Amino acid sequence: MFDFCPQLERFDDFTIASSWERFISEIEAICRQWLADGPKILMQKGAESVPSFENLYMIKRELKRGKRVYSMEYHFMKSAKGKNTYWEDDTHTMQLSFGVDEFLMIAPLSASGVVLDDPESTKLLSSVAIALSNCGSNWPAFVPVHDPSRKAYIGIQNLGTVFTRRFEADRIGSQVPIRLMHLEGLHELFLSKFVLSSTDFPARVKVHFSMKLTYRTPEYDYDNETLDSEATESLVENEVVNHPKKQWDDDCPWAEWYSAEDPVKGFELTAIWGEKTFEETLEMAEVENASSFDADSWFLYPVVSQYMVDDSIGKFVGFASQLHLLVNAYESSAEAQFLEDFVADTSGQDNSKSTTTVPPPSVIDRVMKDLFKAGNSNFMESENKYSRAMRGAPADSLFGQFCLHALWFGNCNIRAIAVLWIDFVREIRWCWEESERLPRMRISSSIDLSSCLIHQKLQMLAICIERKKSLNREKSVGHKDETSNAAAANKTRKGSAGVVPKMMLLNTFQEMHAPYTQDAPLMTEDMHEERLHAAEAFGNAIGLSGQLERDILSSDMSAFKAANPDAVFEDFIRWHSPGDWVSEDNADGNSGWPPKGKLSQRMSEHGNVWRKIWNDAPPLPVSEQKSLLDPVREGEKVLHYLETLRPQQLLEQMVCTAFKSSADILNKTTYGAFKLMKTKMDQLYATMASTLKSLQGKSDISDLAGDLKRLCQVFEHIEKLLILAASIHRKLIDAPRLAQAIFADYFNYYLPKMGTTLESICYEKEFTTKQKVGMHERDAVSNLFPPPTANQSWRKVLSMGNLLNGHEPTQREIIFSVQERVSNGHYSSPTPLYADNEQIQTHRMYICGTSNDLWVALSVTSWD
Amino acid sequence: MDSSSSSLSQQPEFDYLFKLLLIGDSGVGKSSLLLRFTADSFEDLSPTIGVDFKVKMVNIGGKKLKLAIWDTAGQERFRTLTSSYYRGAQGIVMVYDVTRRETFTNLSDIWAKEIDLYSTNQDCIKMLVGNKVDKESERAVTKKEGIEFAREYGCLFLECSAKTKVNVEQCFEELVLKILDTPSLLADASSGTKKNIFKQKQPEADGAASSCC
Ligand SMILES: Nc1nc2c(ncn2[C@@H]2O[C@H](COP(=O)(O)OP(=O)(O)OP(=O)(O)O)[C@@H](O)[C@H]2O)c(=O)[nH]1
Ligand SMILES: [Mg+2]
Repeated sequence: MFDFCPQLERFDDFTIASSWERFISEIEAICRQWLADGPKILMQKGAESVPSFENLYMIKRELKRGKRVYSMEYHFMKSAKGKNTYWEDDTHTMQLSFGVDEFLMIAPLSASGVVLDDPESTKLLSSVAIALSNCGSNWPAFVPVHDPSRKAYIGIQNLGTVFTRRFEADRIGSQVPIRLMHLEGLHELFLSKFVLSSTDFPARVKVHFSMKLTYRTPEYDYDNETLDSEATESLVENEVVNHPKKQWDDDCPWAEWYSAEDPVKGFELTAIWGEKTFEETLEMAEVENASSFDADSWFLYPVVSQYMVDDSIGKFVGFASQLHLLVNAYESSAEAQFLEDFVADTSGQDNSKSTTTVPPPSVIDRVMKDLFKAGNSNFMESENKYSRAMRGAPADSLFGQFCLHALWFGNCNIRAIAVLWIDFVREIRWCWEESERLPRMRISSSIDLSSCLIHQKLQMLAICIERKKSLNREKSVGHKDETSNAAAANKTRKGSAGVVPKMMLLNTFQEMHAPYTQDAPLMTEDMHEERLHAAEAFGNAIGLSGQLERDILSSDMSAFKAANPDAVFEDFIRWHSPGDWVSEDNADGNSGWPPKGKLSQRMSEHGNVWRKIWNDAPPLPVSEQKSLLDPVREGEKVLHYLETLRPQQLLEQMVCTAFKSSADILNKTTYGAFKLMKTKMDQLYATMASTLKSLQGKSDISDLAGDLKRLCQVFEHIEKLLILAASIHRKLIDAPRLAQAIFADYFNYYLPKMGTTLESICYEKEFTTKQKVGMHERDAVSNLFPPPTANQSWRKVLSMGNLLNGHEPTQREIIFSVQERVSNGHYSSPTPLYADNEQIQTHRMYICGTSNDLWVALSVTSWD
Repeated sequence: MDSSSSSLSQQPEFDYLFKLLLIGDSGVGKSSLLLRFTADSFEDLSPTIGVDFKVKMVNIGGKKLKLAIWDTAGQERFRTLTSSYYRGAQGIVMVYDVTRRETFTNLSDIWAKEIDLYSTNQDCIKMLVGNKVDKESERAVTKKEGIEFAREYGCLFLECSAKTKVNVEQCFEELVLKILDTPSLLADASSGTKKNIFKQKQPEADGAASSCC
């Protein structure tokens, strides 16, 4: 207002007397009320917490004087601050700068920063001072002056009837005089505030001094290859520099699939020198040269990237974002009966739409080459109690790798997946036809029923391919019976695996031979289910269910007969089901011949099924028997399954496998085994297990998609935290306690975000927690500040001193103060605790600055 | 065939269908227990090959229940094949013969592991049953040992005899009561919620089973 018409303002002066009076009494009334209420009641009355401070609250009122509107804020603390705790993080700038606890701040309300001219600000301040003294309050009051960027204030505080404290602060925004860049000069500046004549100057004054230095680690220039090659060199410490793009996470388990932005942008180190007393300016120079290691305490603060708390879509690219795309594809998978439909269905649609774009054939080729390249995977399957419920394939198995590739194939839309799958199955068909071993499949003799069906089928196929290969080999060698060679002495004995100790045949004085038997046929989950249904369907009709078991029994009997041409049914039972042979021999076991005994009651019943099978079984060694598992037939069945798989069935299994594999990959990360992270990781598995379980229950697809999207959200939180944990761990590898504590701080800050709701919580609160660095951890922390290369230090003009490994502080804060003895008589009325043993702090100066920015706040106590 | 014939045979209504499974070494008396429970008789049966099951309607805990009890083969040779039948069971009865110690030790060495491996119901109720208590003089496993095993594996426990009928009914009743107490198991078993082969199945088997009880 007075910017435009200063005359008018002067003209208004005629009425000011009364308006100021009214104004003062209004302030007085408000302050009386606040005084009477006290912090507790004010908090009940709606005083708000000042953001980012735990202990500080504020209540606000608006006042009018003429046309001017002012806001008066009273800042107070929930609990009183101790002495000398101003370096704590929970300290407001005003508190730190002027050495006050609670305070009043009065300023005109205007949208465009505060501009007060001198007379107005002075009047304003004296009005407040009068009002406060009227109600006997000791609150310091402040008024902002000049333009806001200067952060200039004036202030006043009544200290009883005798003392008054005056405050003033201002800033030099540029071209700080060299003298004031150094501690010596600053010390002189402080002295000049109370030593009246320059001749007094050398007088020894006991000045209290404390200091806080803040250092910021240099930027990690990982991918800045040419410009800053030297800087990079110093960072990677004599490693191969020629590597053009060195990412921070190159050796992290996820790096095979994506590169994450480093969530830790750097660290801020705060070194604090507690209060010391100096008498000479020269001593200041020594402090400036002192090593940061001499500081009383160090605090470390990680500068964490904003992306950690930014939930907006596309902000974070990792497994979580790709899984989200896969879930979208799953949602649309029910739209068609066959995968081919998705590939063909381009008619009329906008082909450039991101939901239907498919990467070019060259990309498909590359993926296929990678999937089917020879060389076995090492199958580091981390067995987990949840893996059964998740029903995925191992991350490094063929299908596991297919799913992971699909996540990063284009934007993982249903069409791209369909294209990839069809090619994938074509490759598998080729392996089958050519009897080529399937890559990435460990040959085992069993099928893992806890994995997804596709993986089981591939396990089956891998086994069938092996069998088919050995069948072919046998054929090419010719129909030569190898097993019978061993039994050349006895022409009729075939397929013996060796003598059964202490067992003689009942009817002939011959040793019993155990035959080679066929492996029980392998079954995938659907085959088990089929058998179950068959059994259910045949019901009680004895003899119809269990055909497979009969075949096995019959095969065993044939083999036994071939190996023991003179054996009878009882001999077979003695070997195969000893419980059904009731021995009547002496208890010593080593009885004579023939062995005495009989079949159990149930074995000897008339119409016993076992005996029937025995009677029908021809003596045939395994080599001449029909195989219980026909590899050609079973292999073809697997391919038929793969080639006719419904889109939804494929996507269901892909979702399970992709979630599980992604989690397994992340879980391989080394992050110093931070406890909180470990617990979260376990929780992730538990949540995945319970969500993915219902996927096999085949409930409503849209319900499920909702659950899965929530799961993606949870996954993203944990993935981000894990990346953070890994980053902190590797940067502070030599200070594990500190690393874990810093992570825990951030974790606790992040925790409220971790709700499972889809809406993201916007974070206004900033992460500010610093961790105290232990003495033994200082070396590890100082390693975060590698000495700058010649190139770097040349570029920067160092001017402040207090270097740490050659790095200048980004901010230096100093508090100077002097105290004076006060006689008791002098000091009568109640004042706040500025006096200590009858000492009163007469001058206090807070300085905050860098080499081109200096802010000074002064508090002076006087008795007038 | 299914809809018309089921209305003809007046397929009985039921609140829940439970699948129960009998496992344990060969010869411990699984088939005998099943025969005793469903047909109240005792006779010598051939060792089970593959699997066998019987259906019985019962009223327990105020609910009409249809029990499908699966009797598996204990023969070692069939073990991997037997795993087919574990799926979907709400209750699993582990049977041993109190006169043959190895049938008891095999429960922890083999059968408990099989359950972990093949059972698809995480919460399925397990029950330990010592059979053939009529042969008290030949007893090789004490009741106390049975109780301890049950405590360790978190399962129900009873001793019974298929021959003398002692505790056979109680054994199935306790198991079913416990299943009725477990909401997650009821969710799948409720007759209304899920398509179930037993509901639309040919009713002959049902009729036969219920008529013989
Ligand atoms: N004394 C006595 N004998 C029994 C009892 N229960 C079963 N048996 C006998 O034990 C033998 C084996 O019984 P099964 O019922 O066939 O045994 P299982 O467990 O079904 O055996 P598999 O089918 O081979 O697994 C038969 O001879 C039965 O008569 C019982 O309670 N007391
Ligand atoms: Mg049986």
